[in-house]
Amino acid sequence: MGQRVFLVGLTLFAAIWIIPMLWMFALSLSSNEALQLDTRTLVPIDFTTSNFASVLQGGLTGRWMLNSVVVTLTTTVVTLILSAMAGYAFARISFRGKSVVYPLVLAGLMVPREAMIVPLFLMFAEADMHNTYQALILPRIAAPLGVFIMTQFMAAIPLETEEAARVDGANHWTIFWRIFLPMSIPALTALGIFTYILTWNDFLWPLVSATDREMFTITTGLASLQGNFAQATELGSLMARGVVASLPLLVLFLIFQRQLVRGISLGSGSK
Amino acid sequence: MALTRSKLPRAQDSSLNGRARTPLQRNGLVAWAFLSPFLAVYGIFLLFPILQGVYMGFFDWDLLVIDDRKFVGLENYVRMFFGEGLVWDINHKFFWRLVGIALIPLVIIGRFRKKLSSGWAISLVASVVIVFGLLMGFHPDETGRWNDSLFWLSFGNTVAFVLMSTPLIVGAGLLLALGLNRNSRWVGVLRTLIFAPYVLSVAVLTLIWAFMLNPQLGIVGALFEYLGQEPISWLTSTTWALPAIVVVTMWWTVGFNVVLFLAGLQDIDPSLYDAASIDGAGRFSKFVNITIPGLQRTTLLVLVLQIIASFQIFGQVFIMTRGGPNGATRVSIQHIYESGFRDFELGYASAMSVFLFLVMVGVSSLQFKLQRTSE
Repeated sequence: MGQRVFLVGLTLFAAIWIIPMLWMFALSLSSNEALQLDTRTLVPIDFTTSNFASVLQGGLTGRWMLNSVVVTLTTTVVTLILSAMAGYAFARISFRGKSVVYPLVLAGLMVPREAMIVPLFLMFAEADMHNTYQALILPRIAAPLGVFIMTQFMAAIPLETEEAARVDGANHWTIFWRIFLPMSIPALTALGIFTYILTWNDFLWPLVSATDREMFTITTGLASLQGNFAQATELGSLMARGVVASLPLLVLFLIFQRQLVRGISLGSGSK
Repeated sequence: MALTRSKLPRAQDSSLNGRARTPLQRNGLVAWAFLSPFLAVYGIFLLFPILQGVYMGFFDWDLLVIDDRKFVGLENYVRMFFGEGLVWDINHKFFWRLVGIALIPLVIIGRFRKKLSSGWAISLVASVVIVFGLLMGFHPDETGRWNDSLFWLSFGNTVAFVLMSTPLIVGAGLLLALGLNRNSRWVGVLRTLIFAPYVLSVAVLTLIWAFMLNPQLGIVGALFEYLGQEPISWLTSTTWALPAIVVVTMWWTVGFNVVLFLAGLQDIDPSLYDAASIDGAGRFSKFVNITIPGLQRTTLLVLVLQIIASFQIFGQVFIMTRGGPNGATRVSIQHIYESGFRDFELGYASAMSVFLFLVMVGVSSLQFKLQRTSE
């Protein structure tokens, strides 16, 4: 009984929680004219899909989406590979200097990346690399959190798994690719989702680095359209842009979300 | 950094799973080969910019004029911290100093009451409190002014944001994780719903909430009218703009903390609960004696990540209010951004970055240190 009341309460909470998102969907399917009169609704008024048509046809939204996809996919894949390799070294190989390097990497968790934007900007300016995909990708792949997550996960894999392979004469590289990478799929998925979300949503760095309208990501592009909130005459179109910008992430998240918790081992104890 | 000292041996232990200790294979060359790609990008794009930032902070460094770089020593820092006609008196912001002086030890002792035995931990806390109380007494007199009053305004707002958002978002994350920590299909759906806002980009977040909080257009206003209240214009009110942004940020990011807490809960050995049940322990006693200690490391990680994220608040504020109304939501990163990229003063912006960096590292290491004393 108490259990049931609790679940009903939690469900109610979750329902209220997503009202803002439902609202965005409802407005994106309403006509701009109808929204001049009333916006406080969770069902579309004067239902129309023309907002989406106009988003996809006009303007640079398509180009911005493409930029975001290229940058985000590359960043995610490279981050996963680098973090997994580093995690393998920290978790499975004993070597001189580990007790210095691993703390140094973890200390990176404390570095405020947004605050260090000025020197980073200068670095890319001197290399004349602003307004390129490389500039948007490279600073993102130095992710200490990724190394931390991978190290924790790989350290928890029992030793006998790799001993069998070692008896067969496999070297570290083979063990890493054939055994540890496949076994780490839950952690890789969780890290991948986080990296994908954080990169897709990165705001300050694309704002200073990619200043050509053509090189905007969907996040900075969309922000550039929100200059004046008082002008709400095209609320439906604006919300449709929001939906278009969110859908790739929402869909991806819905596919992979079950892995999210399973893949993170914080090393709070052995399982 | 203390995180590692306690963490690294443990990570290795758990791989051994309590069996006879077969040491990990030793092979320095291979290890460095595996590490080198990461360490290269880490060094270039994370560590080097810090050094470069410290260096630039000592220069008058114009973004546009390449040859116009003058070494100015500590001038940028003087501009940041000082002003004309500064005076110190005991009454200035007396109330807020009292609150701070009372809260700092309270928070620390509250969290670590059992373990605050070591003398140096107490003296550390005491010195933080004294320095805080002293520094808050400085202010310009009627004729004086700060060299850059916006710096202090932004920093004050940032600290206020950190103080409001950290307990709220970490606490809410923990509560939600406890509620959502059960295996059923329906709870899985609820988890998904609660995490969903985290997926939105900051531009979509602001798009939704700038209108949600609009007294005429938004649903929040409708709710107030329904309750017979005058709708508040949240984002244009100097009192409410910052708290509103705290709540919006919580809605947006609490899912991340929930996931970390759920992962931490999942790591707690279930047999501990069974054993406690056999001993006749109640729900509450299991929570206090198993769940809370079991979550200690997770909580530390979540806290530090949250504090760092909160200090770097920028996008929500910048898009929704541009720091307004009347500077009420102007934050440090915005000040750095505008000094650097609008006023082209890279040296001054770097100096402020270094200051922010040191504050954040200080707060995070204090957390780690206290945690370590407590272990």
